[in-house]
Amino acid sequence: MEPNYENYSLTELVDALAQVDERAFPERAARLKQLIAEKHQQEAQVTAEREAIFSKEARKAPFEFTGSGGDYFKLWIVNLLLSIVTLGIYSAWAKVRNNQYLLGHTKLEGHSFRYLAKPMQILKGRIIAVAVLIGFTVLSQLSPLAGMLFSLGLLVATPWLILQGMRFSMRMTAYKNVRFSFEGSYFGLLATFVLLPIVGAFTLYLAMPWVFKKMDQYLYSHTTYGGKRFEVNTSSGSYYKASFAGLGLGFVLFIALFTVLGVGEGIASFNAEGEPDFQLIPILMFYAGAFLVSFMVRALYQSIVLNHLIGETQIEGVFSFKPEIKTGSFMRMMTINAVMLACTLGLAYPVTQVRKLKYMTNAIGVMLLPGADALTNTVGEGDSAFGEEAAGLFDLDLSIT
Amino acid sequence: MSLQIEGVYLAPGSSQSQKGRVELVQEELSLYLEGSNAPHRCCDFGDCEQGEVLAGLAVELRFGDGGLFTPDDVRFRWPQTSGGQRALHWLEGHWSAVLAGVLVVPLFLWVMVTKALPAAADASVSLLPDAVPRQLGEQTLYLLDKTLMDPSELSETQQERVRGQWQHSLQHLSLDSNHYQLLFRSSKMGANAFALPDGTVVLTDEIVTLMENEPNALTAVLLHEIGHVEHQHGLKQLARATANSVLFAMLLGDIEGAGEVIIGAGSSLINSVFSREMESEADHFAHQQLKRLGLSPIHFATAMRLLAESSHQSLDEESSGHWTQYLSTHPETRERIHAAEDAVNPEEGEQ
Repeated sequence: MEPNYENYSLTELVDALAQVDERAFPERAARLKQLIAEKHQQEAQVTAEREAIFSKEARKAPFEFTGSGGDYFKLWIVNLLLSIVTLGIYSAWAKVRNNQYLLGHTKLEGHSFRYLAKPMQILKGRIIAVAVLIGFTVLSQLSPLAGMLFSLGLLVATPWLILQGMRFSMRMTAYKNVRFSFEGSYFGLLATFVLLPIVGAFTLYLAMPWVFKKMDQYLYSHTTYGGKRFEVNTSSGSYYKASFAGLGLGFVLFIALFTVLGVGEGIASFNAEGEPDFQLIPILMFYAGAFLVSFMVRALYQSIVLNHLIGETQIEGVFSFKPEIKTGSFMRMMTINAVMLACTLGLAYPVTQVRKLKYMTNAIGVMLLPGADALTNTVGEGDSAFGEEAAGLFDLDLSIT
Repeated sequence: MSLQIEGVYLAPGSSQSQKGRVELVQEELSLYLEGSNAPHRCCDFGDCEQGEVLAGLAVELRFGDGGLFTPDDVRFRWPQTSGGQRALHWLEGHWSAVLAGVLVVPLFLWVMVTKALPAAADASVSLLPDAVPRQLGEQTLYLLDKTLMDPSELSETQQERVRGQWQHSLQHLSLDSNHYQLLFRSSKMGANAFALPDGTVVLTDEIVTLMENEPNALTAVLLHEIGHVEHQHGLKQLARATANSVLFAMLLGDIEGAGEVIIGAGSSLINSVFSREMESEADHFAHQQLKRLGLSPIHFATAMRLLAESSHQSLDEESSGHWTQYLSTHPETRERIHAAEDAVNPEEGEQ
């Protein structure tokens, strides 16, 4: 008696086909194959219909960066000048104007992103953070033991600083009249940003790509827009791919660098005489080369990770992304940026920023869904900038872009 | 005052945008939304807040409740834009201001780092309580004892002889012997001597045996170390390093990336220049005090020669290029010897 295959699901049919003895029951096998083909067709139809509905509702929103390198350079250098002659006090205003320029020129569907922080918030945060830094420097020079205790305290405070920094910079960023926010917790950040890296180090760094995935996932999936959380479905595979590609490229380029410059010879002449016999040109060339290599390796890693991470991030019913970051063109853009920075002793920084933002907005497609028009702001105003400033000063600044 | 401007309106806390126009008559502001003849809202212009004026961006107008109106025309300016905003926008838009920035920024940094900060840091040293150098000295000695140094293996007679020289120098130069302390240590550092901020001077066994036959050379070395203490070099270096790191932390809030690397390299360069200045100052102190003891500064030259030989340094003229000086924390040995020889006969040396 032939079982009634009509009510089987696709997986059950495939399973059944695998178990049927084809020589003993040829009709049964044929019937199964026919049913499987039918089911496949049905499923394809359902997916196509779903996609048709999605594409009707979703619209690809024009995403662009409209700033110009020249304008941003002028703004940046004037900010720098005023910051220095006011002994750093103006730097709070500088930060606000910088961010307002960069975010204001980042436009989605013609609407600017906005930076909402007030200079006084940032100045207060900076003053407190600098006071703590002075205390730390003096203390650790006077008494190494107290310095160690302070460093330990800093480790304990790290998750809190990250939390405050992320919260502040997210809350101060808005698109249309709706703010972003960050809803991580102290212990979540402690586990992800302090404990996991320690675990990663104990695995001879083999688990590090997985740790990086966890970090990105934590940061992005605890970010909200209009009270809705981002969903992130990243897989470790891309992080491993990016890490190994980066390591491989770094290895090859450094060998090439050593070969070309013959640094081995330089080291030999260092030891031959008692006094170090420096050779300026090879050393400078080596530094420039190493700087360039580190940029290229980072660019390779980022192009793979960002493409994956951004593509797997969405807010359901609000928006999703279609990133098309090509490794080749991304690396070319970043390498030219590195050369520009090195040749101008860093003065080209604003121009490189603009080039990068133009590239990124161009390469990232944003799909908006109807939900995007019906969001309301759920985030309040009152926030202190201390966390972010302190995190920045102690080199813990984590930026999401 | 009367004007009309087209733009986009966003209701407070909402992601919905509507086209509209703002009409301003005297101080009365009315907002009309597209497709309606009745004003959507009216308010006093003075109750609204203007956004920043930035190149290529429209200046937004924020209503008291968070509603937002953005003009379509990026060159449009609201009446009563604040003078500060206009001045900033002018500065950020003119290449002359940019040129000034490119010239003044490095110049200003240079003056700050080489003149103003060191002066302020040095002045602050005299305000520190005595406990600070004492703590600093004890902690450093403790760390060195744990890591680089072992107890001295010199015989009692050797140590006594050097102590005698030390006491003799202190008494004749009328220095407070309670303030100074001499210690002997055996060390992996080789022939060396150094001073801690609290007046502790440490001699390694190797330097004592190296100068066994030239006791006056050892006196010159001791005087050099005393010079460091007298000039409070340790504290000054600490104060300057702190001042520098705070200055850079303040300034670099927004200059990320390559700027930090370049300025960081600059500051370590300045530190090594400063540390060479301190060495020269201590050398000069030693020359002067040798004379007051009735000895010749030539003993300092002898000490430098002995030290150079013990570390197999060559004193050839051609051995190193000029630019290496800028990376070194000590002046070149050859120059220090010349300076000591010049100090023997001041009239010749100060030509």
